[in-house]
Amino acid sequence: MDRRTVLKGLAGVGSLAATGGLSMPALSQGAAARTLRFVPQANLANFDPIWGTQYVVRNAAALVWDTLYGLDATLQPQRQMVESEEVSDDGLVWTFRLRPGLKFHDGEPVRSKDVIASLARWSARDPMGLMLKAIQNELTAVDDRTFKWALKAPYPKMLLALGKNSTPCAFIMPERIAQTDPFKQIPEYVGSGPMKFAKGEWVPGAKAVFEKFADYAPRQEKASWLAGGKQMLVDRIEWVVIPDPATAAAALQNGEVDWWESPITDLVPSLKKNRNINVDIADPLGNIGSFRMNHLHPPFNDVKVRRAVLAALSQEDYMRALVGDDTALWKPLPGFFTPDTPLYTEEGGEILKGKRDLATAKKLLAESGYSGQPVTCVVAQDQPITKAQGDVTADLLKQIGMNVDFVATDWGTVGSRRAQKTPPGQGGWGMFHTWHAGADCISPAAYNAIRANGDKAWFGWPTSEVVEKEVTAWFDAKNLDEEKAAAKRLNKAAMEDVVYAPTGFFLSYTAWRKNISGIAKGPLPFFWGVSKTA
Amino acid sequence: MSISTSSTAPVPPGLVIAPQLPDLMVPVAIRRGVFGFLRNHPTVAIGGALLLCLVLVGIFAPWLGTVDPTALAPGRRTRLPSADFWFGTDLLGRDIYSRVLYGARVSLTVGLSVAVLASLAGLAIGLVSGFVRWADGIVMRFMDGLMSIPPILLAVALMALTRASVGNVILAITIAEVPRVSRLVRSVVLSLREQPYVGAATASGTRTPMVILRHILPNTLAPMLVQATYICASAMIVESILSFIGAGTPPTIPSWGNIMAEGRALWQVKPYIVFFPAAFLSVTVLAVNLLGDGLRDALDPRMAKSL
Amino acid sequence: MVSYILRRILSTLPVMGIVALFVFSLLYIAPGDPAAVIAGDQASPADVERIRQGLGLDRPFLVQFGTWLWHILHGDLGTSIFTNLPVSAMIAQRIEPTFSLMAITLVLTILVAVPLGVAAAWKAGSWVDRTIMAFAVFAFSLPVFVVGYVLAYVFALQFEWLPVQGYTPLAAGIWPWLQNLILPALALGSVYIALIARITRASMLEVLQQDYVRTARAKGLGQRNILFVHALKNAAVPIVTVIGIGIALLIGGAVVTESVFAIPGLGRLTIDAILRRDYPVIQGIVLLFSFLYVLVNLMVDVTYTLVDPRIRY
Repeated sequence: MDRRTVLKGLAGVGSLAATGGLSMPALSQGAAARTLRFVPQANLANFDPIWGTQYVVRNAAALVWDTLYGLDATLQPQRQMVESEEVSDDGLVWTFRLRPGLKFHDGEPVRSKDVIASLARWSARDPMGLMLKAIQNELTAVDDRTFKWALKAPYPKMLLALGKNSTPCAFIMPERIAQTDPFKQIPEYVGSGPMKFAKGEWVPGAKAVFEKFADYAPRQEKASWLAGGKQMLVDRIEWVVIPDPATAAAALQNGEVDWWESPITDLVPSLKKNRNINVDIADPLGNIGSFRMNHLHPPFNDVKVRRAVLAALSQEDYMRALVGDDTALWKPLPGFFTPDTPLYTEEGGEILKGKRDLATAKKLLAESGYSGQPVTCVVAQDQPITKAQGDVTADLLKQIGMNVDFVATDWGTVGSRRAQKTPPGQGGWGMFHTWHAGADCISPAAYNAIRANGDKAWFGWPTSEVVEKEVTAWFDAKNLDEEKAAAKRLNKAAMEDVVYAPTGFFLSYTAWRKNISGIAKGPLPFFWGVSKTA
Repeated sequence: MSISTSSTAPVPPGLVIAPQLPDLMVPVAIRRGVFGFLRNHPTVAIGGALLLCLVLVGIFAPWLGTVDPTALAPGRRTRLPSADFWFGTDLLGRDIYSRVLYGARVSLTVGLSVAVLASLAGLAIGLVSGFVRWADGIVMRFMDGLMSIPPILLAVALMALTRASVGNVILAITIAEVPRVSRLVRSVVLSLREQPYVGAATASGTRTPMVILRHILPNTLAPMLVQATYICASAMIVESILSFIGAGTPPTIPSWGNIMAEGRALWQVKPYIVFFPAAFLSVTVLAVNLLGDGLRDALDPRMAKSL
Repeated sequence: MVSYILRRILSTLPVMGIVALFVFSLLYIAPGDPAAVIAGDQASPADVERIRQGLGLDRPFLVQFGTWLWHILHGDLGTSIFTNLPVSAMIAQRIEPTFSLMAITLVLTILVAVPLGVAAAWKAGSWVDRTIMAFAVFAFSLPVFVVGYVLAYVFALQFEWLPVQGYTPLAAGIWPWLQNLILPALALGSVYIALIARITRASMLEVLQQDYVRTARAKGLGQRNILFVHALKNAAVPIVTVIGIGIALLIGGAVVTESVFAIPGLGRLTIDAILRRDYPVIQGIVLLFSFLYVLVNLMVDVTYTLVDPRIRY
C-alpha cells in the first residue's frame, strides 16, 4: 500500500498573492483572508447527513460533525474521536473510549449516550450499519466516556464501518438530535466538528456558512483525509452555490471565489492559462460511470441482451463525452472495482476490451429473440454526467438495432421512477444512468451497486447467487489475499451476469486561486489545513 | 417571456381607455393584389420572405449539405468552424451546422403549432365567456389564475409533469398562452355585442351561432392574426428557454434551445456553439415579429397612416 | 375609490384559490418524488418508501390539500421538505434580490424606453424613428440568456468593470448592491425596453393625431411642452398598463437571468424547487407570484385615475 501514501501529498502551493479584483467585497483585508469562499459541486439543499445521503451533504457535514474513526489517505481507518478501543478475543465485544475534552457546539461535552444514540440512528440507514444492527447484542454506555458494543458474530470491518467516507458516515450528534427518526429530518445542526453551521446565514440554493468552533480539540497527528488533526486555518467558510459553470469559472477568474470544487473539464484549459489559478486532479480515486439495466423485464431480463450491449459499448465514447479531450482524465474500466486499489481486477472483463464488436452484439441480440421492443431509457438532464452518458447510450442502442424510447427528464423523476418495479410500459423503466465515487467502489463494503440479491439489490434488481456468495466471501476474508481472490471471482461473475454496465473510470479536476494553500487530494474537499493569504 | 402581451393589455371591466383594440376593417390593401399589398407594407414582405426561407431550410435540411445531426463522434468534439464542419462541432462531436438546420424544424413547429392551437383554444374560450353570462365569471377567474402564474414557470411546471417531447412542449406553452388570447377574443365580443347591428340581429331572432359566424368571427380575425404572430415568436423563445433550462425538447432532437443549453457552459471558450443557434433563433423571431408588425399596421389603417 | 379597491381585493381571493388548487393538483399528479431525491443515489427502494411516509406524501390527495389549505388560512405556508426551513423564511431570504433586480430593471427601462419611444413618435418616419424601431425589434428577438452572456463577457470578463455573478444586499451599501445588478438588469431589461419603447411610440402617435394636440401645435406651443405635457400625459394610460402586465414577463425573465448571474432570488428558488419536487416551496412561491400579479394590476388600475382624471370609478 505504499503507493497510496503518495496521495497524502498536498497539492502544489502557490505563493503569488492574487490581485484583488474590482469586486472584492468590502471586508477588511484581514477578515477577507480568514474567509474561504468555496463553490461546491451542488446545492446544499438539506443538511441531515443520515437522512439525505447526497455527496454534497456529506461534504458539508464533515465540517460540522466528527466521526469516531476517520479513513486516512492510505484507506486505513484511524482513531478520531476515539482514544482507544479494545476487542475481546472472540471478536464479539468491542469497548471504545472517547478522547477527553470533546465538546459539542452548544458547549455540552460529548458523552457515551450521544454516541450510542447517533450510532443507533446511523445503523438504521447505512448498509454496513444494517449489517452490524443485524448481529448486535447490545450497545451500552459503560461510563460517560466509555461504551461497549456486543455482537453475536465477529465483525472484522468494524473500524472501517465507523470511519468510512461513503455516505452515510457515522457522524456523532448530541443525543437529543440523534433520537430523531432516521427517516425524518433532524431539527438542528449541532455537532462536535471543527466548524459550526451558521444556520441563520443559510440560503439554500445560494449560500451556506460555517464558522470556526473555538473549543474544538484537534488530534495531534497531521491531518490526512478524515483522520488526524483537523486544524482550521480560516475562521469562516462560505459555500457559494453557482449553478452555471461558465459563471463559476468567471467568478474564480475574477477572484470573487477562492476554490471551485468541480470545474467542468472543457473550461480547465482556460483556467490553467490564468496565472492566479491552480488546477489539479481532485480525487485520484475518481468516479465510475455506470448504466443499469432492469433485470426484471424484457428485453434486459435476458442476459444475452445485456451482454450484447456490453459487447458494443465503447467506453472511450462515454469517457470523451464526459470529460472531453483530456486523455489524462479517464481510462477504460473492464471491471467493477476502482483502478489502482488493492481489489482492482479485470477478471472476466474481456468483453469490454478491444475493438467494439457490433456484429457479435447484433448476433447475441438476434439469439435472444429481441424483436424491436422499445427500451425505456430514463435520463436526467439536469446532471451533466447522466446527460452525457445518456446521449452516448441512445446512439449505442440505435447502432445495434435496438428501439430506444428516450425519456429525458430531471433527477427528481429518475430518482422516483427507477424505484418502480412495474414493466417499462406501466411506469417502470428499462435503463438509467448514474455514477459511483471510486472511493465507494474500492471494496464490496459500501458498494450497493455491485450486489445481486434480487429484490433487495439496488435498482435494476440483478439476481446472481455467485455474486452474492463472493460478496460474503469478501466480508469473511481473513487477509488481503483472500479478499483479492474473492474480488476476482466476484468481478467475473458480475461481468458475466452484467450486474450493471461500467462506462469507464474518470477523474475530475478541482481549481483554486493561488493565494489558497493546503488543498489535499481526496474523495471529498477537506478544509482543514487550508489557508488563505490576502 | 411573453411578447404577445403588447397587444392585449388587460382592461379592467367598465374602463375604456384610448387605444384599445383598433377599429378594424377588412384591409383595403388586399384588394389591390398581393404584390401591391407587399409593396405598401415592406415589413410584411421582409418578414414573410425571411420566414419562408427558414421554413424552406427546415424542410430541405437533409439536402443542404448536412449529415446525421444526432451522429456522435466523441473523438472530434468541440472543433472550430472549418471547411468540414461549417459551424464547428459540439461537445459530443456532432456537426453544429446540421443540428442548427434541423433545429429550425423544432422552433418553427413549436412556434406555428402554439400560435394555431392557442388561437383556436383562446377563440373558443373567449366566445363562450363572451356569450354565456354564467360561464364568464368562472372561466375568466380561471384564466386570471392561469395568467397570474408567470408563463415560463407554468411551462416548466407542466414539463415537469410529463416527459420531454416536442408535443408536450407545444402543449405546455399553449396552455400558458391561452388566457391571453381568450381575454382578447372576449373583449372583442363584448365590445361588438354593444354594436347596434349585432343587437338588431339578435333581436330579429338570428341564432347565436349565426351571429358569431356573421358578425363576430370576421371582426376577431384581424386582431387574432396579429396576436398569433406574436404568440409564435414568443413560443419560439419560450421553447429555447425551456430547453435551455433542461425542461424542453428532448436531447435526442436537435433544437436551437438544446444546442445552446449544451454549449452554454463553454460560451467563454467556444462561443460558436452558442452563437450559431442564437443567431438563427434571433433571425427567426425577428422575421415573425416583422411580419406581425407589418400585419398590424396593414390591418389597422389608423396606424398604417402614421408610418 | 376605497370601496372599489376593497372590492377588487376581495375579488382576488377566488383567483388565488383557483391557483392554489390548480398548482396542488398539478404537483400531486407529477411523477417526481422528493423522497427519492433526498434518499440519494445509494439509497435502497425501502428507504425511499420510508422517507415518503415520513414526509406524509403517502396520504390521499384531499387530506394533503386540506391540511395545506388549513395551514395557509392560518398564515402558515408550511415547511420545505428538503431544508426543514419554513417556506415563508425561504421566500423572505429570496425576495430582496428578486425585487431589487425587478426594481432596477423597471427604472432602467422607463428611463431608456420612454424617451426612445417619445423621440421615435415625434420624429415618426425619420431615420431616428427607424433606427430606434429597428433596435426595438431586434432587442425583442434576442433571448434573455444570450444578452446576459454577451454582457457578462464584455463588461465583466473583458473590461472587468463589473462582477460576473452574485448579489450584495442593499444593507452593504448602494454601490456594491448596484454593481451586481447592472448587468442582469440590462439583460432582463432589453426585451422590456423594446416593448415599452414600441408601446410608447404607438400611444404617442395616437395622441399626437388627436385634435387637441393639433390645436396645441397650431397655437404654436413649444414642442417640448406639447410632447411632455399634453401628449405623454394622455399616452400614459396604455404605458402604465403594459408596465403592469410586464411584471409577469419580468418574473419569467428573472428565472433565467438569476440563473445566468447566480443571483439568489425567487426565480432560482422556484426552478430548484420544481426540479427537486419541494412541493410546499413551489406552492408558496406560486401563491406569492399570483398575489403580486393581482396586486400590481390593482395598482395599475389605481394609477389610471391619477394619470387620467377622466377615468372615474
